[in-house]
This record gives sequence, structure tokens and C-alpha cells, in this order.
Amino acid sequence: MEYTVLAVLALAGVVAVELAWLRTAIFRRPSYWVAMAIVLFFQVLVDGWLTKLSAPIVLYNPNEHTGWRFPWDIPVEDYAYGLALITLVLILWERAGDTVTDDA
Amino acid sequence: MDRFQYLLLMGGCLLITLPLEFVLRARVWRRPRRLVRALWLPVVVFVIWDVVAIARDHWSFNERYVTGWELPFDLPVEELSFFLVIPICGLLTYEAVKRIIER
Repeated sequence: MEYTVLAVLALAGVVAVELAWLRTAIFRRPSYWVAMAIVLFFQVLVDGWLTKLSAPIVLYNPNEHTGWRFPWDIPVEDYAYGLALITLVLILWERAGDTVTDDA
Repeated sequence: MDRFQYLLLMGGCLLITLPLEFVLRARVWRRPRRLVRALWLPVVVFVIWDVVAIARDHWSFNERYVTGWELPFDLPVEELSFFLVIPICGLLTYEAVKRIIER
């Protein structure tokens, strides 16, 4: 169940980085939650295609995750993985916005 | 064509989110320095995670649907493309939503 453990730790780590260190206040922005809902919808489509057991692109070792798949054949761990990845990027994007002056 | 399936899926994600940049004026592609600042660390962290996960057989790739082009440490180029494309899609979504509801 190493993937399960790592996915949960990754998400907890990203939340901790935001709350304890970078403090962009992104979790208080409705835009973040609306965007996550939209991202989640498209994740189901893309991840569903990647993981469908009838013709999988990515093959998961059954010993390394819970085996819970929803909907279709998406391992539930993928939601923590995706949320951790996107949230980390958005936090760093907000952080960079304070310091980087990009072309207008 | 089957072996390009993963890469084409990533290309499709880029295409379908492109209107967010130009129609909803998300301005992600047009802020390249900020984009690099936001992406480099997550890409490094998730590539390392991926290399470890592949080495420890947490997951593997169906050779029928990937090109077989591999970077060092058995990392398929498709995976690197994933770590660039998916965050950009997320940023475009976030910035487009901000444009709509924060003004």
C-alpha cells in the first residue's frame, strides 16, 4: 500500500506547506474551490481513460494501493495525488505573483 | 497510432484548455517567468516520486499505448509531459475562474 501512504502524505504535506509556511490564503478563495471542482470533473475523464481496465495506459500494482476504484477504474489514491499536484502548483503560482514581474 | 495514445491525450488536454488563455484571458501562457517559477519545484518533486514509484513497481505503463521513448531512470517522456501539461491545465482553470468570479 505504498502508493496509498505516499498519496495521503503528499496531500498532507502540501496543505502543511501552505498553512505553516507560504500562507497564500488560497484555501480561503472561492476561486480555488471552484477551480478544483472543475479540475476534478476533467480528472475523472482523463484519469478514467488512463486507468480503464479494459485497455489501461497506466497499470497499478494491486499490492501498492487499496484497490478501491471510483468511478470506473480510477484508483481513489489518484484524487489525493492530483489534488496535491495541482494545489502545490497554484500555491507557488500565487507566491510567484508577489515577486515576479512578468511581461504585461 | 496506438502507441501515441498517452501523448495524444496530453496534447488534447493542452488544446481543450487553450481557449481559457485567449477567450477568458487567463494569461498563464503569457506569463512565462511566473509559470516557470510555479512549475519547476512540483515537476522535480513529482518526477522523483515517479522514478521511485516505477522502480518500486507501484505502477507501470502499457507498452501498447506509450512511445517507448524514455528519459534516464526509465521515465517515459509521456510522464514528463503529464507533469507539465496537467499543472498548466489547472493553472488555466484557476485563472479563468478568478477572471470570472473575482471581478
